[in-house]
Amino acid sequence: MNCEDYKLAIAADPSREDGEAHVAGCAECRAYRDEMRALERRIGRALEIVVPELRMPDLPDIDTADVVSLPARRRFTAPVGLAVAATIVLAAFVGLRMIGSNVTYPSLADEIVAHLDHEPYAVRVIDEPVSDRRLAKVVPADVASMNHDAGLITYAQTCVINGKKIPHLVIQGERGPVTILLLPDEAIDDAVELEGENVNGILLPVGGGSIAIIGERDEQLETIQQNVVNSVTWST
Amino acid sequence: MGVYHQDMYRYAAWLSRDRTVAEDVVQESLLRAWKSLDSLRDAAAAKHWLLTIVRRENARYFERRRLETVDVDDLTPSQEALLAEEPDHELDDIRAAIYRLDEDYREPLVLQSLMGYSTKEIGELMGLKQGAVLTRLHRARLKLREDMEEELASGQTQS
Repeated sequence: MNCEDYKLAIAADPSREDGEAHVAGCAECRAYRDEMRALERRIGRALEIVVPELRMPDLPDIDTADVVSLPARRRFTAPVGLAVAATIVLAAFVGLRMIGSNVTYPSLADEIVAHLDHEPYAVRVIDEPVSDRRLAKVVPADVASMNHDAGLITYAQTCVINGKKIPHLVIQGERGPVTILLLPDEAIDDAVELEGENVNGILLPVGGGSIAIIGERDEQLETIQQNVVNSVTWST
Repeated sequence: MGVYHQDMYRYAAWLSRDRTVAEDVVQESLLRAWKSLDSLRDAAAAKHWLLTIVRRENARYFERRRLETVDVDDLTPSQEALLAEEPDHELDDIRAAIYRLDEDYREPLVLQSLMGYSTKEIGELMGLKQGAVLTRLHRARLKLREDMEEELASGQTQS
């Protein structure tokens, strides 16, 4: 192996160990190898970006019973395979946790407040808007249209409330994240106050449905309520 | 679970060069994986299978969006977020250099340096011969080295 061959090889794969005999007798190639390995360590660190918490995809409707039996039906035999199944099945469990479950709540308001406890990562303080594509997926045109007057939407996920899939959005308020649940099929006669340990909010009647708006305990929600209600138009 | 999700997200982020796109791609990939779970025959190949799905979903995403090529000096917030990671700002320059690499060079580098793929595995995933993979990896690192040297020279000139 000559110097040119060695340099080509070590730059293509700095971890390779062959060619040590050449390096032992060549100070230039030894220095080049050390430089490439130092560069590689920096590359590795640079590529290890922080990974956000997993947002659960909107998985197709399946019975919870099917989800539970899934590992037994599939052909996985090794822990690695089970880990993959666990990745996806767990996503299914979280995404579909209310479908077919026996959990019941005294009222819609209680379920909404309990729901916030299930998705703590939804209420992070961030200023990164969700993509229009994501928003259109979570708030489909046949459910509602929504303009940008509501505020900076930083989280959008389909969730299940009262057995129905609904859009769960988060905008950023003065005191922190504000959760918005669009409930096109939940007609109510009057506004209902929502109170949790650290949050306050309101469930508002809007057309033939309702909208829940929940913020930090000291968040002033009046303006947000007005903006949100004005920004949403039910499609049906 | 965490291991696969991290790999999927980082691969998607460096392919798309956009954190928001990466989240969407990972979501779509999980959904597709869920639907085609039966096609995973070899449990040991799970990571490779998932990354292949991410790669295809990323390509589909850009086919649908026909996103324009962006310049590193004209980035959206989610693209900038990829380059400025807390608390490793001393790595911002090399992240920017990786960002500027052509996709043909960036992808094999990510697969080798981040995912620990062999050149043979990279070739299988990207549909390349091993020789072509080695050439791309070699050129990728030389380009990064060159960029780092220019960055250093620029910094010394300014100071």
